[in-house]
Amino acid sequence: MRNRLRVLAFDVVAPLATIAGLLVIGVVLDWPRWWVAVCSMLCLLVAQVVVVNALGFRRDSVTMGTDDDEPRLRTAAAGITAATVVAAAAVGYTQWTLPDRAFNRDNTDVVRLATTVAEATATFTPADPTSSIDRAAALMVPETAAAFKAQFASSAADLAKRNVTATARTLSAGLEALGVSAASVAVVVRATQAEPGRQPSIAVLPIRIAATKQGDSWKVVDVSPISSR
Amino acid sequence: MIALLAAVAVAIIWWGHRNADAERSYQARVMARAAEWTGVLINMNSDNVEASLERLRDGTVGELNTGFDASIAPYRDVVKTLKSSTTGQVESVSIEAIHNNLNIAAGQRPPSPPTLPPELSSRTDTVIVVATSVSENAGGKPTTVRWNLRLGVSDVDGKQMISLLESLK
Repeated sequence: MRNRLRVLAFDVVAPLATIAGLLVIGVVLDWPRWWVAVCSMLCLLVAQVVVVNALGFRRDSVTMGTDDDEPRLRTAAAGITAATVVAAAAVGYTQWTLPDRAFNRDNTDVVRLATTVAEATATFTPADPTSSIDRAAALMVPETAAAFKAQFASSAADLAKRNVTATARTLSAGLEALGVSAASVAVVVRATQAEPGRQPSIAVLPIRIAATKQGDSWKVVDVSPISSR
Repeated sequence: MIALLAAVAVAIIWWGHRNADAERSYQARVMARAAEWTGVLINMNSDNVEASLERLRDGTVGELNTGFDASIAPYRDVVKTLKSSTTGQVESVSIEAIHNNLNIAAGQRPPSPPTLPPELSSRTDTVIVVATSVSENAGGKPTTVRWNLRLGVSDVDGKQMISLLESLK
């Protein structure tokens, strides 16, 4: 009974687990050519060991798992199996689990960034004409920020002259697309413009915010209205 | 022992990644469905209005489905009498992540969204669809309509159905 268990554990399960570990690494890495080569080589080695082991059993009626004179061989086999499976777990964690978590974190970060910028671009206070523009520009990449400021300088002067107050609040925001280093967010804001002596006008503006990841933080590269016509 | 623990870890990682993957592809399907449905809605013409409405109704579920005829009837009449020809285009589709209901006074509780009973649908995602359509009425100037829609897409037995239609304003 004890011998059977040892055969099962060391002569059957151990090589199978090793091969399985190697295959899992391949799946996680999506089979790059170098791993196809390395994996087939290692699998062949394992198969060879299994064959040698089986031949040994026919000749001496003793296998690696049941040979009491060679305990070190067993330790080595168990060590190799453990190392392979641990490697598979490590590769899976770094290649799958961490990116999945980063994706979810990016999702929240980028939507929050987009709503802040979208609201700031449609906000204007005559008493402090550049505050919201500066706030939005701080969240953009430098080139976009410069272009954005230049573009708004003239209209800001006009709005300030007419003493218009504009406010914007997000109605809804959602992710259109998200990659490793680029994202596109749709933000629908309700913009209210109030001018002394006139009825405030309310408009619903759909805005698309394109963002890129710089280092650890997301920055806006483009703000544009969603509509082609 | 270590190998066993690591094997369990591999299984957990595998399972977690499969879930994350399935979630992403499900969201892509939801967005595609919402875009398709809206495409029918904004391309309604006097000559295809009956067929379009049929397709729209077949794609809905829950309250939206039961109240479909009543809510859409005036719209159908307008399309028919105006003999307008409309071409619409979906500009943006996104999975909603943030929603503020600005149409309620401060301190007032927001109305609970109409949800489908759990035995009918396992989950509902909200999709924002921005679209434009241009209508050319017989003898009139072309008018552009901008649609800022909020669609609820529910999973009903593996099929994505529209369960909510709202205009953002």
